Amino acid sequence: MEFHCGSLGRPAHEGVRPTVKTLSPPPSTVCSPLWLAPKERLQELIDTLRTQRYAVVAPVIDQAAIVYDEIDHIDRLPRGWIDFQAAGHYQLQRTDSDRWFDFVVGPHSWKKYLFPSRCVLSTGTPSPEGWQFESTSDDAPAYAFLGVRACELAAIQVQDRVFLNGPWVDPIYQHRRSRAFIIAVNCTRSGENCFCVSMQTGPRCHTGYDLALTETADGFIVDIGSERGQELVATLELPAAAQEERTLADLLQQRAAAQQSKRMDTEDLPQLLMENLEHPRWKDVGDRCLSCTNCTMVCPTCFCCSVDDVTDLNTGEVERQRQWDSCFHEAFSNLNGRPVRNDIRSRYRQWLTHKLATWHDQFGTSGCVGCGRCITWCPVGIDITTEVAALREGST
Amino acid sequence: MSSMTTMNFWQPRSMRIEAIQPEIDGVFTYDLQLTQSAEQTAYQFLPGQFNMLYLPGVGEAAISLSGDPARGDIWRHTVRVAGRVTDTLAQRRVGETLGVRGPFGQGWPIEAWCGKDVVLVAGGIGLAPMRPLIYELLRRRTEFGRITLIYGARSPESLLYSAEYISWKRGGIEVQTTVDRASPDWRGPQGVVTLLLNRLPLLRPEQTQLAMCGPEIMMRYTALSAAKRGVSDQQLWVSLERNMQCAAGLCGHCQLGPMFVCKDGPVFRGDRIQPLLATEAL
Amino acid sequence: MSSATTIVHSPFLDALPGQVRQLLVPLMVSKAFPPGDVLFREGKQHDDIYLVTQGHVRLEMYVRDRGHLPLLTAGPGDLVGWSPLFTDQPMTATATAMDHVHTLAFDGRRLQALCESNHEVGYHVMRQIVQVLSDRLVATRLQLLDLFREHLPSRSTIDDEC
Repeated sequence: MEFHCGSLGRPAHEGVRPTVKTLSPPPSTVCSPLWLAPKERLQELIDTLRTQRYAVVAPVIDQAAIVYDEIDHIDRLPRGWIDFQAAGHYQLQRTDSDRWFDFVVGPHSWKKYLFPSRCVLSTGTPSPEGWQFESTSDDAPAYAFLGVRACELAAIQVQDRVFLNGPWVDPIYQHRRSRAFIIAVNCTRSGENCFCVSMQTGPRCHTGYDLALTETADGFIVDIGSERGQELVATLELPAAAQEERTLADLLQQRAAAQQSKRMDTEDLPQLLMENLEHPRWKDVGDRCLSCTNCTMVCPTCFCCSVDDVTDLNTGEVERQRQWDSCFHEAFSNLNGRPVRNDIRSRYRQWLTHKLATWHDQFGTSGCVGCGRCITWCPVGIDITTEVAALREGST
Repeated sequence: MSSMTTMNFWQPRSMRIEAIQPEIDGVFTYDLQLTQSAEQTAYQFLPGQFNMLYLPGVGEAAISLSGDPARGDIWRHTVRVAGRVTDTLAQRRVGETLGVRGPFGQGWPIEAWCGKDVVLVAGGIGLAPMRPLIYELLRRRTEFGRITLIYGARSPESLLYSAEYISWKRGGIEVQTTVDRASPDWRGPQGVVTLLLNRLPLLRPEQTQLAMCGPEIMMRYTALSAAKRGVSDQQLWVSLERNMQCAAGLCGHCQLGPMFVCKDGPVFRGDRIQPLLATEAL
Repeated sequence: MSSATTIVHSPFLDALPGQVRQLLVPLMVSKAFPPGDVLFREGKQHDDIYLVTQGHVRLEMYVRDRGHLPLLTAGPGDLVGWSPLFTDQPMTATATAMDHVHTLAFDGRRLQALCESNHEVGYHVMRQIVQVLSDRLVATRLQLLDLFREHLPSRSTIDDEC
């Protein structure tokens, strides 16, 4: 077994820009956009994926929110629904329009499937010769994600760097990610909390998808992003998209970008944050924050987790399971039984400085994709764009 | 690097306890051997690395390898009872098995110390992660200048591995020990390790490397003493302890600023880590 | 015991400006103590302040029901017994030579008089003593923190390894 050579005090990967592995190869020929109409033909796409043994996951409505779940029929899509989001506020409204994807992102993200909230890492079986350990094979199906927004593509790419590009590769993420089929959707409307324009992650989908859909009035423009995508649409025999439709699609995307009111100035942000670790704003936000962990649960890039054991009392078998955790949990930073970050102020500081500063050192990008979920789902309405602006003021 | 990335770091390997050596009160050294017969290379590790010892149904603990890296037949770990997992481990007997994941982490950068004077400063259980380094330095003694170990413990009875000091001295390492609380028959110095460091003549400070393992506050003041003597923080190496769970930089528990202690450490060069250690509750 | 004719190096003296050091030389006497000799006793008056140049000195205090408790070992470069410099206060610890100890001894009263009459000397000497006491205080605090206290397994609600 190889072992790791000690470096001269530098992290092993320092100086090497992590490159995200291209998990699906680009299309073999340059393809112009295709036209899928009427919109109901989306069912054919779903059916084709299902015959190829993909579990299709798409937006659905559950408990007054748009979340991600397995579907088999377009009837389950939240057609005509839009979401109103604000700091600490989320409300759905039904409209009479035939807009299928005018809502933006809800409390779920695709990490639910790629980095599942709970999974088994290994199993230990007692035997006369002692403990026997085995990795359990991941029994998840191949997923087809329908409705991935640009910020979410960016988030998946961020997590690719975390789980695939370090000295240790996470086998569960790798297995699910390599088999995932991604149908992106170009946003034609921005939510109130969206700031992907600031974070340069959207609203247009550029890369990282197999297919990308842009909804116009009468159908979907279909952009092909990979060989797999190309093969899939070949079975549908779609015509090329007309220029008027493509122009309309562009306009709608530009409108989505223009709608964004939230901004985050990211210039020199990592340095600014790390040089202001004693800024009074940390206490200010620490006094408001409940340390409830909502933001980390809904954030599409957060990856903190914990492991614990589950024992079967009958067989004595022990499963080592991994589940999502959060740096906001008081015990998360425990050292010899006591938390290093023993107040909410220091925990909030940890989360924000990791997301916007030290993530760059670790993975070469920001950890934030500008999706705005943390703002929507914070029960006290903390807005990281506001916090960053406040930290800039009075910074050294 | 490639074979490492394809290895499933989550999966433990089964190891049997071949021997248990009680050390000082509450501290035991375990010799572990793979239950599946393995190549000698399976036991390779670098001084400073650690394993995750797994007691199914109880949990895992990050334990530094404390034995001789040249031994290709066992992995030795010195464990202090400090929580649920280590407490349970203390009740295990020779012949029983447990799971082991590892080795993980960056080790001591011995290659960079060739030709230099080396000062090792350890406190308490911190001598355990340093012992593989001591063995390696002894084996390669002629490659280094003067080597000194300054070791501080709570009391004379708490001096870890005391029976070995004589052989280390014979091998060419100057061993100085000090205690916080002396007993009436203690003939050695009493006081913190920085006092011994202050008295240690440094013949060529700019060519001196200093490695530390112990409580963070001890390491902080040792660094200050070293700086006053002309040993900069680029010549300092510290081994840090943090809460480790995955040991692979993927669960977030051991994060310190931009560093994951399990993956970027636990050995760090002083200049990279001092500003982070200086910030409270980081 | 002989007076110092050549200056023996000591970090304490080396830290003083040259002119100050010159003025201290006539006050300095070499004093050696074989193993077991007591340099000064707790509770008693004493005349000398010592700079240890070789060997180790055990400092201890007497607690009635616990006997003589060792506190600290002073070694080469350390200053021991600074009380004579200030007032007629008694020594606050007993100092015993652990091996062959060589010191540079200063008569406390004479040093005090020099500092009084020559404030330049007084400033530098006091400043250096403050540095020594400050370092000693930090070292004492680190000892006091009992950093190597055995951690008992945590039985609190946080029932984790770390």
